[in-house]
Amino acid sequence: MDEHLITRKQFAAAILVSLLSPLLRLLPQTAVAIAGAGAWLSPLPALVPVFLLAAILESFRRHMRPGEGMGGLLLRWLGPVAGRAALAVFAAWFLFYGGFILRSGTERLVSTIYPSSGQGLFAAVTVAMCLLVALGRLRAAARTAVILRTVLVGALAMVIVFSASNMDVSRLVPFSRQDAAASLAGALPLASVCGVAGIFSFLSGHVQRPKNGRWLWGTYLLALILGGIICAAVMSVFGPALSARLTYPFFIMIRSISLGDLVPRIEAVVIAAWIVADFMLVTMLLRCAHEALRTLFGLPDPETFPMGSLRGGRFLLWLEAAAVFGISLLFDLPPLQLRLWSDRYIPLGSDLVLYGGFTLLWLITLPKRKKEQSGGP
Amino acid sequence: MRRWSILLYVSLSLLLLGGCDASLAADRHDAERLLLIQTMGLDREDGHLVMSVSSGLGPDEKPSLVMSAAASGIEDAIARLQNYSPENQLFYAHVQYLLLGEQFAGSDLDQVIEWVDRSPTLRMDTNMLIVRGTARDAVVDSSEQATDITQRLASLDRQAQASGWSVRTLREVAAALAEGDGALCLTVRTAPSDGNVFTEDQRADAVVPAGYAILNGDGLAAFLSPEASLGAELLTGDPTGLLITVEGCTLELLGGSAEIDGRFAGDGAVEGLDIRCTLQAGLLEKAEDRSISPEKLNEALSGTVGEWVYEALDAAQQLGCDYLGLRRAALKSAPDKAAAGRAWGEAFPAIPISVTVDGIVERSYDLAE
Repeated sequence: MDEHLITRKQFAAAILVSLLSPLLRLLPQTAVAIAGAGAWLSPLPALVPVFLLAAILESFRRHMRPGEGMGGLLLRWLGPVAGRAALAVFAAWFLFYGGFILRSGTERLVSTIYPSSGQGLFAAVTVAMCLLVALGRLRAAARTAVILRTVLVGALAMVIVFSASNMDVSRLVPFSRQDAAASLAGALPLASVCGVAGIFSFLSGHVQRPKNGRWLWGTYLLALILGGIICAAVMSVFGPALSARLTYPFFIMIRSISLGDLVPRIEAVVIAAWIVADFMLVTMLLRCAHEALRTLFGLPDPETFPMGSLRGGRFLLWLEAAAVFGISLLFDLPPLQLRLWSDRYIPLGSDLVLYGGFTLLWLITLPKRKKEQSGGP
Repeated sequence: MRRWSILLYVSLSLLLLGGCDASLAADRHDAERLLLIQTMGLDREDGHLVMSVSSGLGPDEKPSLVMSAAASGIEDAIARLQNYSPENQLFYAHVQYLLLGEQFAGSDLDQVIEWVDRSPTLRMDTNMLIVRGTARDAVVDSSEQATDITQRLASLDRQAQASGWSVRTLREVAAALAEGDGALCLTVRTAPSDGNVFTEDQRADAVVPAGYAILNGDGLAAFLSPEASLGAELLTGDPTGLLITVEGCTLELLGGSAEIDGRFAGDGAVEGLDIRCTLQAGLLEKAEDRSISPEKLNEALSGTVGEWVYEALDAAQQLGCDYLGLRRAALKSAPDKAAAGRAWGEAFPAIPISVTVDGIVERSYDLAE
């Protein structure tokens, strides 16, 4: 059984790669628009809500039975009616969020590299790839994430090193008390991004069970540090005001990188590489939505059937992929409206479902957990 | 069998994005038809945007292709220019120099920044220059000469760097303007304004530096005199290489720096600025018929540069435009940065500024001999 489980390192890699997608969608422009010059310090105050959520998720994990994920726990704790309602809400959100991520990823790719192309084609190909991986073993996807993590973090490091000549650290100062206070508000988008890691609790049943889950906290910390580095790098190149004004300042920064006369522009390769972060997040959202739905309908683990089989509710994965693609088409909005969704409505929805949902669950199940801890029935 | 079907599935999906079919990949570029545009000029004339482009010399010394079109906007101009050259595909990803005519820089700089933000072609780090007159004159008129505008601008760029001027990029200008400060941009002119620069066979279309322009939120605020431009360069950049003639001696600046400190009142507002400039210069030539002591030469250097700095500061205060970045420098030492920042805008035009210049001329010990 254990050989089918994801290792902790693979799980952490899948989370980090998935977080890089919303991280670069919201940073630095949204954080700078809220926090101004203090945006690059926003990861510090963001530690508080992120680690609180991590602590809540860890307390849930301790109560999960072997092979059980958040879906099973919800059903067990909330009962068949409320539990199924909660599962339906989570599944609906995962599919909606997946549709948005698919759209924002293809929009970024098209607007930064392929301006004359239609987004539908890119969205269709991406969702087809995500479906292919979601139909397979989760462990294969997690192993892929380990490689993708190296590629993306390496690309990020390369971009920052090659952009260093354009950086002016004096743009990050002077730093007043007001800037420090504003950096508290700038923590909101960062906390929202890291909150997305909460969806992975639905896959806990597929992960090797360590004594405690605090090893995951390092992944959240790394995501926050990367967020701070991205903010600081972009702000030191463009200054806070221009960073907030540009649509994709990080990718515009990449546009200026040259490897001498040999390779005058490399942005197409680096930006295209970033689509794999969206690919990983959408794949994981498909699997998380499937975990919620199969728990809701009492279906078996999809990995017990062959890849091409539609038995055991596996057809739901095809329907989920179609739903994600359909939702992505609904986001065919003008750039300004899409940015409004990206900056405001989606983070708000994500915070409500993940931070709000898990906190509410933690509060209402407090007596039950105490009873379980004291060895009661 | 399963592996083969997965491979086929992935290959078919990727094939769609590979550009194998032109109808699916609208951004496909045929390398043999690509014509790299290296210099782009923008003007505003009679309500129209005029775009002038030069491709630069080809690999086999083919003359550069130079075109100009009037249009309603940048994308419209690009489409029109493409129609003028149907045999080539004009490619703007390698533009090295962006020339803005006076009129355009005065009102439409935001349009360029917006376009670069949305278009994946031009880089934010493209060198930007303002042309005294129209950019079209600089780009189109140079087409009849042996060297094209890109070569001339590259030469000017190298020379400018060696002689203490800085060619700013669009990013640097946009960042300074977005912060609410003013920005400096090197200006060029296409014809010499006096007889000192060229001889009888002067080429009227040569491109030479003509000092800095000050840009603020409304566009082009003013042109600085060459002397004030050098003062501004000392306060904002690296003036190394600048040639200065004082007391008949030609000096080359070997280095220089400026320290800017604010003096603050009890309520946190700035009540004055102290600027201390230090200069190191090397003696290149001295006039044969003059002798001057090293101390006097140091004093003359300090006095001359001090006047330039005052002129640059005076322009900033008269315009109410902090193009020298004084606010940012002064606030570093402010006890209450927020209060000082709030009071800065109104107070800036009348803030008393004291300037001290310490100039030292190296290798001047043999001057009196």
